[in-house]
Amino acid sequence: MRLYKKEGDVIQLICFPDELVEKGDYLLIEDQKAKKGLVVQVIDTQFANIPGILEDILRDVMTEESVQGEDYDPFHVSSQITVLKDTRLVICKIRGSVNNGEISSSVSHLPSRISSKITRFPIETVVETRKSRPVHLGTMKSHAELTLDAKTFDGRLNIITGKKGTGKSHLSKLLVASLIDNRAPCIVLDVNGEYVNLSKTKSNPSKLQRRVIVLTPGLNMKLTLPQVGLRTMMSVLLFALDLPGNSARVFSGIWRQLHERNELTLSSLGAAILRWDCHESVRDAIISRYNTMVESGMFTDDESEASDLERIAGELSEGGALVVNMKNQFSTMRRMTVEILLSKLTDLLTTWKLRAIFLFAEEAHLYLRETYWEDIITRMRHIGIFTTFITNQPDTIRESIYRQADNIFLFNFVNENDLETVSKVARIDGESVKLIAKDLPLHHCLIIGEAVKNFPIVVNVHPLNVETMGETRFFFKD
Amino acid sequence: MWIHRTEAIVYEHSNISSLLLKGSQSEETLLPDFLMKLSDSSMRAIKGGRFKPREVSLFDLSIEDEPHRDLPLMLGDELLQCKPIMIESTEGKAPVVAVDVSSMKIGDTDDGVLCALRAVIVWKINGAYVYLRCGPIMFHITDYGHEYMSKSLGFRELLPPSMFSPVTMRILGRLRNTLERWTQRLVCASSKEALILFDGSLTAGTPDNPVKHAQSILDSARENGNVVLAFSKATKLAIAGERVTNLLEKMPAPCLLDIDHQIGAQFPPNPVKLLGRIYVAKLSPGGFTFRLDIDRQVPVDGAIDAVSRLSGSDLMEQGYPETLRLAHILSTFTANEVIGIQRFIARNHGLRITSQLSLRKSLFGPFGTGRESY
Repeated sequence: MRLYKKEGDVIQLICFPDELVEKGDYLLIEDQKAKKGLVVQVIDTQFANIPGILEDILRDVMTEESVQGEDYDPFHVSSQITVLKDTRLVICKIRGSVNNGEISSSVSHLPSRISSKITRFPIETVVETRKSRPVHLGTMKSHAELTLDAKTFDGRLNIITGKKGTGKSHLSKLLVASLIDNRAPCIVLDVNGEYVNLSKTKSNPSKLQRRVIVLTPGLNMKLTLPQVGLRTMMSVLLFALDLPGNSARVFSGIWRQLHERNELTLSSLGAAILRWDCHESVRDAIISRYNTMVESGMFTDDESEASDLERIAGELSEGGALVVNMKNQFSTMRRMTVEILLSKLTDLLTTWKLRAIFLFAEEAHLYLRETYWEDIITRMRHIGIFTTFITNQPDTIRESIYRQADNIFLFNFVNENDLETVSKVARIDGESVKLIAKDLPLHHCLIIGEAVKNFPIVVNVHPLNVETMGETRFFFKD
Repeated sequence: MWIHRTEAIVYEHSNISSLLLKGSQSEETLLPDFLMKLSDSSMRAIKGGRFKPREVSLFDLSIEDEPHRDLPLMLGDELLQCKPIMIESTEGKAPVVAVDVSSMKIGDTDDGVLCALRAVIVWKINGAYVYLRCGPIMFHITDYGHEYMSKSLGFRELLPPSMFSPVTMRILGRLRNTLERWTQRLVCASSKEALILFDGSLTAGTPDNPVKHAQSILDSARENGNVVLAFSKATKLAIAGERVTNLLEKMPAPCLLDIDHQIGAQFPPNPVKLLGRIYVAKLSPGGFTFRLDIDRQVPVDGAIDAVSRLSGSDLMEQGYPETLRLAHILSTFTANEVIGIQRFIARNHGLRITSQLSLRKSLFGPFGTGRESY
């Protein structure tokens, strides 16, 4: 390879056919005289615009179908001509520099075109972290393992995005499993029921057995009204069930009276609403929401069948995951579930009953109310909810969330709009995002952010030995 | 030596080269041994040193070093009274063979120039086109080595100094002629009852193009029942200021205009010999017209019959035989090939590539827009 051109932070290299370079690879352009080097990442490969190549191809096309031939080439010169035809132009972005063996992000040196030596750069040596709490993500282009310390995800906001079927949920499950292995508590908002078998392996008993708790709202996730509390219930009514403010105030009065009388049950609440002295329209509004709550099956007066979220949180604190299975649920039900969960988590975290928790939210736009987005990256983050959003619709996540994200795990996208959305807000230039993400194979993701010390890296995510359940069901068999 | 194949070859269960090589002759004969040795010895002499590659531009696709070998001639007005000979195409499958050779300057060294040659033969037999391409072979031509080169090529006369043309470039011309004549000789000796097409004219007798070589090639062709036809692309024949080729513009095709007498009258009997009978040929309706030289020793009827058979046997796109067109296309060096050869020479002969010092650019800066001369 030879250094050809530098324009801004883009370096162009001439690469011969026997030199194998792929998008995402890291190269070191080392000026041996100056003992300095540039660390660049390949973002695109093109054919080099060699003079006369058009003539050559035209001649081949003109003659290949109609003329058969034989070349007597005593000096074997044609091999050099063939090499030229396949010579590539490798487009790279400068990611850093090496000065006397030290890597830094500042770039002030332009290496020599003549004396520079271009070699593969072992980026794993730069991004490697302490491995006392290992998270084995996958293999890099160089076939080196990418193992990060679980601490890398501590206190971070992550986004996993990519088109359908590229491996987002797979990576998400791998992260959950790795965090559990490292004794971290996780909660998964599972809209497709993909995580319910996380503790079941394809062959041997899983290490995650008994460390994954699956709750299905209305089925094995039920709460008594005192467990829920007025504040959480008001959030449910206002944000999940859209109860008007006036009616909410009346409901609050009813709740308080029942609470004072120690009669706070679902049945007494219904009776109290019916007999409460209020305008008929207010009563109708409250009773319709009450009926929705009853029909959801999430509330019970039987303490023995109520889920003890505090106890579950305690179990998770030594490493485990609570999977909230929201598959086949109406959006109202999902929103109620999330309101209750986040409210309860906030309580547990503010009272230090839980130290911190890693929240994995699949397709959060389906259940997260408007005000929670900002809340998650500000207040909730400070009290210890560290969120990973997983979505195949990157435009459903607000720009402000992307800007606050510490790490983006980007899988393949071909849609220009999707790429544009991510490229605008990723921590690297949009060109790199677009060019690399377009050609990512299945289960390969581009990691951008703190986790890889801001050196974007393409990783082939490790397979996971668990029942995934996230695979698409097909009608036709092979 | 070995054959480097560019694609699978299926031609009547035999190699294409066997069309050219008979009996015990081996592949080495495709290129003359003395030329190979000359190439080898000249290239060995450049071990190490600097090399200024010929500049090839992305935007100027065409690079040609072919010399215009036809002399500009003025013809008398009486030609305007001549009637063209109408040709009737003879439908058939007469074998057609075309030969073309290209030469190209590749770059400069400290004491000379590097150049490359390539020869191509294209056959049209039974409706199929096949080609054999020989080369490229490279030469390092220096001012002090030209005597040795001339002798090696069999030229008695040394090149006299000329203020118009560097000796190195004239040596390149001799090398090119030598390879061309060699290839033509092989084709003429190995073909039977074929129409053999040359690029250029059948004019000989210049120091670079001795009569005896050209004559022996034509003799060999005739002995095998072949007829040699030479097509000139750049004809500078004019009658009363008008290009002679324009005379046939409105005539139906195929037709010939015999201008042999008029041309012959302009040359003294020595040293230049017109070995061909000269016509202006229009071989397809709406096509271009070309100067056509047909072996003078072939009777006029035979010459006209040869054109008739050629017209019926080969495609005549724009009035030019397809076989010869393919030979030209396949022999021409593209810019990409020039770079490939430069890379080969730099790698195999330890040359250091240096940037081209442009006198024009140095003197005139951005206003030095003309082409560099080679």
